[in-house]
Amino acid sequence: MTLTKNHMNNTIKRYLSLLMLCLIYQVSAAQSNLNIKGKVRDAMDNTPLIGVSVKEKGTANGTLADNNGNYNLKVSRTDATLIVTYIGYTQLEVPVNGRQEINILLQPESKGLNEVVVVGYGTQKRGEVTSSIATVKAEDFTKGTVRDAGQLIQGKVAGLRITTPSGDPTGGTQINLRGLNSLNGTSEPLILIDGIPGSLNTVAPEDIEAIDVLKDGSAAAIYGTRATGGVILITTRKNPVGSKSTIEYTNYVNIQKIVKKPEMLTADDYRRLISQGVKYTDYGGNTNWLDEILQNPVSQNHNLSLFGGNSTTNFSGSVNYRDWEGIFLKTGQKRLTVRAALNHSMFDDKLKTNITVINRSITSSQGGADGYAYRQAIIRNPTDNIYNDKGKWQERDIYFYDNPLSRINEATNDARLRETRINGSLDYRPIKDLSIKLLASNIQTNNLYGSSTTFEHVNTTKSKLNGTASRSTTAATENLVELTTNYTKSIGHHNFSILGGYSWQDAVNENFYAYNFDFPTDAYSYNNLQTGAALKEGKADMTSNKNKWQLAGFFSRLTYNWNEKYLFMASIRREGSSKFGTNYHWGSFPAASVGWRVSKEDFMKAVPEISDLKLRAGYGVTGTIASDPYNSQTSYKYDYAEGAYIDGKWVPGFVPARNFNPDLRWERKTEYNAGIDFGLFKNRITGSLDYYTRTVDDLLYNFAVPTPPFLTGNMLLNAGTMKNSGFEALINVKAVDTKLIKWNSSITFSTNKNKLVNLSNDKFDVTIDFINAGYTGEPIQTYTHRVKVGGPIGQFFVLKSVGVDDNGKWLVESKDGKVIPISQSSDDDRQYYGNGIPKYLLGWNNTFKIKNFDFEVNVRGAFGHDVLNMQRMYYENPVNKAYNALKTAYDPKYGKTLNSDLVYVSDYIEKADYVKIDNVTLGYTFSDKLIKGIRNLRIYVSALNLFTITKYKGLDPEAVSYTGDFSFAPGIENRDTYPTTRTFTAGLNVSF
Amino acid sequence: MKTKILFILIAAFGCAGTLSSCTKLDEEVYSEVLPSKFTPTEKDLPTILAPTYASLRTVMCGWQGYFDLQEEAADCIITPVRPNGWDDAGTYRRMHQHAWTTQEWQPYNTWINAFATITKTNTILSQIDAGTLQLGDIKAGVVAELRAVRAFGYYLLLDNHGNVPIITKVDPDDKTLPKQNTRAEVYAFVVKELNEIMPSLSEDAKTTYGRLNKWGVKALLAKIYLNSEVYVGTAEYAKCIKEANDIIASGKYRLDNNYSDVFTYTNQNSAEIIFAIPYDEIYGVGNQIHMKTLDPLSQGVYQMTAQPWGGNCAVPQFIKTYDPEDSRLKDSWIQGPQSNPLTGQVLITYVNSVPGMGGLDGIVAPSNAGFRIGKFVIKQKATSNLDNDFPFLRYGDVLMMKAEALLRTGDPDGAASLVTQVRQRAFKSNASKATISGADLLKGSIYQYGLQAPDGTISASNGGADIKYGRFLDELGWEFAAEAHRRQDLIRFGIYETKQWFNHSPKSPTRSLFPIPQDEIAKNPNLKQNPGY
Repeated sequence: MTLTKNHMNNTIKRYLSLLMLCLIYQVSAAQSNLNIKGKVRDAMDNTPLIGVSVKEKGTANGTLADNNGNYNLKVSRTDATLIVTYIGYTQLEVPVNGRQEINILLQPESKGLNEVVVVGYGTQKRGEVTSSIATVKAEDFTKGTVRDAGQLIQGKVAGLRITTPSGDPTGGTQINLRGLNSLNGTSEPLILIDGIPGSLNTVAPEDIEAIDVLKDGSAAAIYGTRATGGVILITTRKNPVGSKSTIEYTNYVNIQKIVKKPEMLTADDYRRLISQGVKYTDYGGNTNWLDEILQNPVSQNHNLSLFGGNSTTNFSGSVNYRDWEGIFLKTGQKRLTVRAALNHSMFDDKLKTNITVINRSITSSQGGADGYAYRQAIIRNPTDNIYNDKGKWQERDIYFYDNPLSRINEATNDARLRETRINGSLDYRPIKDLSIKLLASNIQTNNLYGSSTTFEHVNTTKSKLNGTASRSTTAATENLVELTTNYTKSIGHHNFSILGGYSWQDAVNENFYAYNFDFPTDAYSYNNLQTGAALKEGKADMTSNKNKWQLAGFFSRLTYNWNEKYLFMASIRREGSSKFGTNYHWGSFPAASVGWRVSKEDFMKAVPEISDLKLRAGYGVTGTIASDPYNSQTSYKYDYAEGAYIDGKWVPGFVPARNFNPDLRWERKTEYNAGIDFGLFKNRITGSLDYYTRTVDDLLYNFAVPTPPFLTGNMLLNAGTMKNSGFEALINVKAVDTKLIKWNSSITFSTNKNKLVNLSNDKFDVTIDFINAGYTGEPIQTYTHRVKVGGPIGQFFVLKSVGVDDNGKWLVESKDGKVIPISQSSDDDRQYYGNGIPKYLLGWNNTFKIKNFDFEVNVRGAFGHDVLNMQRMYYENPVNKAYNALKTAYDPKYGKTLNSDLVYVSDYIEKADYVKIDNVTLGYTFSDKLIKGIRNLRIYVSALNLFTITKYKGLDPEAVSYTGDFSFAPGIENRDTYPTTRTFTAGLNVSF
Repeated sequence: MKTKILFILIAAFGCAGTLSSCTKLDEEVYSEVLPSKFTPTEKDLPTILAPTYASLRTVMCGWQGYFDLQEEAADCIITPVRPNGWDDAGTYRRMHQHAWTTQEWQPYNTWINAFATITKTNTILSQIDAGTLQLGDIKAGVVAELRAVRAFGYYLLLDNHGNVPIITKVDPDDKTLPKQNTRAEVYAFVVKELNEIMPSLSEDAKTTYGRLNKWGVKALLAKIYLNSEVYVGTAEYAKCIKEANDIIASGKYRLDNNYSDVFTYTNQNSAEIIFAIPYDEIYGVGNQIHMKTLDPLSQGVYQMTAQPWGGNCAVPQFIKTYDPEDSRLKDSWIQGPQSNPLTGQVLITYVNSVPGMGGLDGIVAPSNAGFRIGKFVIKQKATSNLDNDFPFLRYGDVLMMKAEALLRTGDPDGAASLVTQVRQRAFKSNASKATISGADLLKGSIYQYGLQAPDGTISASNGGADIKYGRFLDELGWEFAAEAHRRQDLIRFGIYETKQWFNHSPKSPTRSLFPIPQDEIAKNPNLKQNPGY
């Protein structure tokens, strides 16, 4: 491992020097008259603890334990109390009682029911939580190369399905919690970074301390209308109060390999088949087109984190730089994320302030290596050459058939995304139990894109456009202001807290786009759009748009428990959105939950094996907003598509922007959740079991309305009900727990059942029976799925193939169950065949520690589902001799040779159960005495997406999309999907 | 100190919004026009009127639109399976074999777009009624034109779907679903509307190009009267002749000197077109007839900026009916070798043979199979949208309608003189062939009706000799090929559901009407399906 790959650019250096300046700030000791010293140790194994904070209670006076765990503190009074805090350990208060030497043993915080859980607008102890909330701490994150926060917790949260559907370096993860819960709104979870809305890649994965997932309605309801898809709370790393200055550096380098290539016919295969009379064209060359568009990517990632300060003022900051390459030629992404947080406390800790700045800039400079170029590489004749005899790209006049290398090399696609987030908070505690907090944030996003094609691109060589170029830019501003008041009080065994708050959010989005072609030269790329002729002739487009939305909410929560034994929580949020009709701006989202900590009952003392047991049940209502603003607005637009030739000239038409619906309102999800949290054998085995049912009413659906009387056949209406129910389990086992060897194993399991209960249009009292969804693409051009009312989402709807006849034509099953030739079949013979959504999801995560070695294996699996193998559907058929086919295309099917047009039949839908050995990491931590000044040094190697056990014949059963357009058509492995990769990583973590 | 901090907090909260603005959720609209910001006046009339005509572009040439509906169900044009696709789940085969389902897109698209036109005109008429749109002196003319456009929409539905709801108002508060009307009621409504508005319509032929003026409405009425027997069982040939005579007598229109002048990319200058659906490659996009018909290789022939899709072509049996000296054969169909104008290299040669509709029987029509639609002259460097306007009603059509009415009312010689007038520009090289006699028009058709085998032979031929006025039907075929006329003509001549052609065999007489779209029945239970579906 060398650091020579560390191309830190000037920007990083500037940030670094700034942060280093801050480091000079030193801890100042307070005056006192009693000198105490001692050693802090781990109560379990007696090892000294380094950097533990020892403070005198009620003052700012404090110190930190040194490298041997020794501390030295002057206190002002002999009856002072020491407060000892250390991350991962239970806080301890030690009365001094005049002693001068106090040795302290700290109890490691048990991971079970004592850990701190982040809930909406606050924290709770795990033991007091009455809802379904999963927490994953940094030490349990996926190690090695991770794209975003999602991948950190992949397979670690029961019920949260996270996949990486493509190998595209600019792509992210796909995420879904507890099934599909909306038809038209998003099912994506709300992601909050330290309380502020963001995305899974807002902060670098290295900068994350913990991720909490609010799964059920009772936990999420406090976030009202944004919370139906669940809430993911990301807590960034903070400077542990009073900790000494620390610098951490981590880096890794990785290489990627394509997991599996489609096995297409080679030039030799072509010639063999030609000799057998197959009508392929032999162009005389020998090109492996797929290999030609692939590269061997080397990617790197560097992260520098700094923590410093004293007990009143401290800061944390990080600089993260990654340069990732993709396996397709000319694909890659560079990303720089800088975060700086400054905390200051005043007036005896009564007022705490925070200012955080996060700045991201993402640059990708790609050629034309998109899914279409990939398709061209797959279907291109392997006997053809890359260049023609003039040294130019070899093109052919065949339908939808371009040289993939000219597409990739003669196109430019640049993107520069910049985001600046500034947020600040004031936390005022006038009295001990009362906290008033004001949080404000401003997020600015500015994206700039440019693309162009040269004169050697098919846009010009075939389509005579003489060079194309476009620029586009988007700008977004999002503001958030939240004021919360929290009062916590314990009177005897009665513990309660009251939270009240107000939240305001608004966002403005603007964009501009201009396209041009017919340039005198291709030397300008997209940097001289005005020289193109097409825009002036009215042939090229230019567009601009602006929109805005607002969201306001009032919320409150009450928690009460008696002796931490009987637990109760109730909350409500009243929320209004500008996106809805005036009659329906506001909605109320209540929640309540109860818990019983059985293990605290006296009778449980008779069962010492059970160290913890809690039963809980919750109910909560959340909502979903329509994705786009103005859907309920009565407004008009000028549109050339609605224009006509009037009085000798073309004029735009003035038309309603949509079918007006001032009655548009929230989707409402009502969820019941029951769960058990348990710890056995002194918490050696801990876990949670949850069962939920969720019903979404008033589903927003682009409902078909009759034409006439309506102008267009669809209108966004609240219509329909959907149900999900499921079971989730999480079990952690400390399988081996000795000084020498530790083995922790955790298993997550989840299953979900989905049903579209009804889709009815109350406006006209009309019910739809089914929705067709999914699309095969050209040339098959038909839908793939059908969602039937009363049935689950995700069912394929297809002609069931049962054989091939002597002429090579498919035989299918008719609706009466008879075997008929496909030529006699119709749409009525289609049947439900399999489902693209897995019935069961499994995660199995193991960590081993043997002396200084650590070893981690993460296994994930999904079962009980099917995937439409689109590559087989299109390429395992030799019908089109203009395009290449899979080697298996000439294999007999049902003992016959296929001689059929491309069709969508069930043969291409395959069982897709899989088990993925997703992440294997081996690390070694050097002893801290090895190099002076280095506190921690760990090196590791890691493999991601290492191995998949499956009978599925496609490239990757997980490379399917189940969000956005594919919400209703999950389980299609698209023929154009950027192939997934296997990643091998070597990395280093060091802290000073 | 504490109070001071409290003040800071309160002030900060205050900044977040005063009590009223912290719950202010009115939408601010930037890229749309709110009704409160728009007070329509006369000068806004073109933009208000435009949408009612705009949907006609989609009606005619939209994907699987009216053009396909009229031609693919008839005996001149087919879309066979090609090496690059065109199975599209069998929809073109079903159109050809009259096996369309109640969910077929071609009839549904015509329904959607005809009703879009109707609803848009109703919206504006309601605004004029309510006084929200003040028009002053021009009101009567505008209302008449809007009613003409609405009647045109209903004419399309009368012809294709028959039993549709008649709606003349738009009331957003009225939630009752439209009731279905019979074909006879729709016929009566359209005829009444067109006659009522006649006095208020513009007689100017020039400035009303692309819009319905008095002559357009008369031509439309003539068409409806010509088909009256099909629609309601009562022949109205005298009324047809009267409307045609009015147009002829007006002297506003004449036959263009060249057949291609009616269809070329500058055909807004045509003297013959009475009502066109204007298209433009920039503003009025949608004429993609060339994209659907040309093989991808033809891109180089026209130096096109888009690669055509290579789908439909002529039925070989139909092409064989042409007299080789009829210049309309070359003017209507792209045939033979096609070369790059810059290099002279032959890129593709279109031949008049197509093995079959293909599809699941495994037959695939070669890329060059079949003559392509060339009537709408494709200019060099064409984009994916042609500039050519689609003539819906033209003077030649008026002459032929009158001729047919004369023929059917016992005046074959009067008919023949009109047919001869139309034929003259098609036989410039051999003028004697242009002349046709009344006796000729009483002959049968020379179309060799029968099923075509993959090798091109016509099996089970039942010919066309038995078709009454078959020769006149042939004349209609040659003059109006690829003008979305053919289905209506075949029905009127009684062979739509009796003859075989290419891969088509008669299905059922009820197929003369398309089904009410199943999706619309699902949305509006008042609608009952047409007989036979």
